[in-house]
Amino acid sequence: MLRLPRLGDSALIVVLLLPLAVALPRLGGLSGPPELWLTWVGRVTGILGLAMMLLAGLVSCRVPGFDRPFGGLARLWRLHHWLGFAAFILIMVHVLALGLAAVPASLDAAVATLFPPPSQGAIWLGWLAWVAMVVFLAPTFDFFGKPHYQRWKRLHLVSAVALLFGLWHALLLAGEAWPWWLLGIAGLGAIAWRKGVAPQRRHPYRIEQVVSLARGVVELVLRPEGSGIRHAVGQFVYLTPLDERLAAGRGEEHPYTIASAPSDSRLRIGIKDLGDASHALQTVMPETRVLIEGPYGEFFERRFPQRDMLWLGGGIGITPFVAGARNLGAGSVPDVHVHLFYLANNPDRAYYRQEFCEIAARVEGFAYTQHYHRDHGPLTEAFLREHRPDFAEREIYLCGPPGMNAYLQRLLIEQGIPAARIHSEVFDFL
Amino acid sequence: MNKIAYSAFIAFVASLFTLVSVNALSGSDRETVEDFDLESITMEELAEHGSAESCWKAIHGRVYDITDYVPDHPTEEEVLLEWCGRESTEGWDNKRPGVPHSPRAEAMLERYLIGRLVDDTAEPLEPGAGEPAGAVVERQAGEATSPAQDERLARALLGLPLDGHYRGAFTDRGSIQVNVTFDLRDGHIESLAYRHLAYRGVDYLALEEGDELYPVMLQHRQIAERLEGAPVTRIFALYEPESLVDDIDGYSGATLRGAKVISAIRDALNRGVYAWP
Repeated sequence: MLRLPRLGDSALIVVLLLPLAVALPRLGGLSGPPELWLTWVGRVTGILGLAMMLLAGLVSCRVPGFDRPFGGLARLWRLHHWLGFAAFILIMVHVLALGLAAVPASLDAAVATLFPPPSQGAIWLGWLAWVAMVVFLAPTFDFFGKPHYQRWKRLHLVSAVALLFGLWHALLLAGEAWPWWLLGIAGLGAIAWRKGVAPQRRHPYRIEQVVSLARGVVELVLRPEGSGIRHAVGQFVYLTPLDERLAAGRGEEHPYTIASAPSDSRLRIGIKDLGDASHALQTVMPETRVLIEGPYGEFFERRFPQRDMLWLGGGIGITPFVAGARNLGAGSVPDVHVHLFYLANNPDRAYYRQEFCEIAARVEGFAYTQHYHRDHGPLTEAFLREHRPDFAEREIYLCGPPGMNAYLQRLLIEQGIPAARIHSEVFDFL
Repeated sequence: MNKIAYSAFIAFVASLFTLVSVNALSGSDRETVEDFDLESITMEELAEHGSAESCWKAIHGRVYDITDYVPDHPTEEEVLLEWCGRESTEGWDNKRPGVPHSPRAEAMLERYLIGRLVDDTAEPLEPGAGEPAGAVVERQAGEATSPAQDERLARALLGLPLDGHYRGAFTDRGSIQVNVTFDLRDGHIESLAYRHLAYRGVDYLALEEGDELYPVMLQHRQIAERLEGAPVTRIFALYEPESLVDDIDGYSGATLRGAKVISAIRDALNRGVYAWP
């Protein structure tokens, strides 16, 4: 079945191609002697490369709600990553193509094209942009090993410098400046918003309760100090704890999934001890403040709204389903049937089991099956079919540790379920 | 993805390094064409090649025949042809306002080099491309005290010519263009007249009022009138004809070539007295 591309994707492609479409009539054709088509390639890659860089900047704005037409922040972040990667490659092709285009004239001309006299500042601005790009992308692409998250984040800000120089380079050389002003203001404006305005607009909450669910897992119950945020089921927020006694991560933002129903007056967030910051949060003091930014994500995006749903959750990845189940338990009437499989190693690690049992008993359109790895081994197709015979016909949502995610994806694809019907939102390095 | 990015980065840097080093190792055998090796081309000759059939352009004092390149140029032909047969440096330096052509375009242009642009006296109209900028500045400094302004310098240049009757000529490309006769009395010019005044087959002395080139004849006649009774050193004022002649652009904007008249007069002085008074 042919489905229309997402609204956000279509808009992104239009904006991406805008500068090229405007410049294309002036660029001649992709024919003739090598120096002419190489020049064409050089210019087209340059235009596309810079447009991608600026759009990568734009999509990093992280304005709550902006991510949903793109299928959620995690997907938008992957788009951002791909745009940056493609821009990096295209810009190097741009430089080499323009250099090689001058070789038929002479080697001197080729070198002078790439490294002109200082008076040709526009070219040197391009080089500065490239150097800045290498500085901020080298750690992203692990050129010299995996960087520390916070240091990587600070270094990634050099991207603003790269955008600025790249934009300046283009404005001096481009025939039509207005598409670049448009994209430039959008890209740099997004970074300015992200780093300047957005941190001032976080919502203050106070930790009302720290509920210990199991060893290394707590649920924070947050009470809004102001109006708070409004969220949909399956969304996540960036949480910045301000407790001064925290051993790590104070003032740092990290993403966590919301486990409470949208109708709940409190924001509940399940946190597993997975790193320095989440480890410290296990012992965060009640009545200290946190800042919340969001919500983001589109986990329960419906692409086949008429189909019943199958939820597969495990580990701390159960949290979006907790929110979903609590929403049903709070009186939200499901328009389709929902069946949740909760994958855990043993009863100790199935810390939301009681609540699911209770909701499943009350809500007609919600079924719940517990699966223990210790007893049954990895989840199998037979287990699924035994408890939910029509599982392969449903729209499937899965969330769990990376290993479990990969295993379940494989299992489901092998059943002939199309990838478009399997939803999974992994936020690594957000 | 990370591996691809890293490989592309290394390949890019290596390619640049190769290009630069290959150029450094082989670049020294490229020779630049010296000005004096080039054929002299005048503005008039240049103007004859002002169409798509034959398109010459003067850029920074050199003339290029870009007829064959016109169809390949990315700009609309119309815009490009506008500059044919003309001094086109401005267009070259401003591909778009303030944006010059690239070094690559410069290298390509050199392939179409056919000569250097000169004025009617075969003097280059602009310093050659090979001439260092410093030399131009030095020369301009030297010109600050021209013979036209400095009487002593003018005397030193002319020596002490004797009184008498003089005749002299300016010749270019095998034909006499200016032939003058005058008397010197106490070092002052008297009875300056043209025995011959012609250019490109046109006899200016035979022109009548209403002829296209008649204003040029008037300019020369005015020169003769203004020099009457003037000290001989006054001829250097012709280097700046506007100081002697009312209308220096008598003919279609072409500036009066006062230098030709100076040359003819100095020729006469060099030859010595033609007849004693």
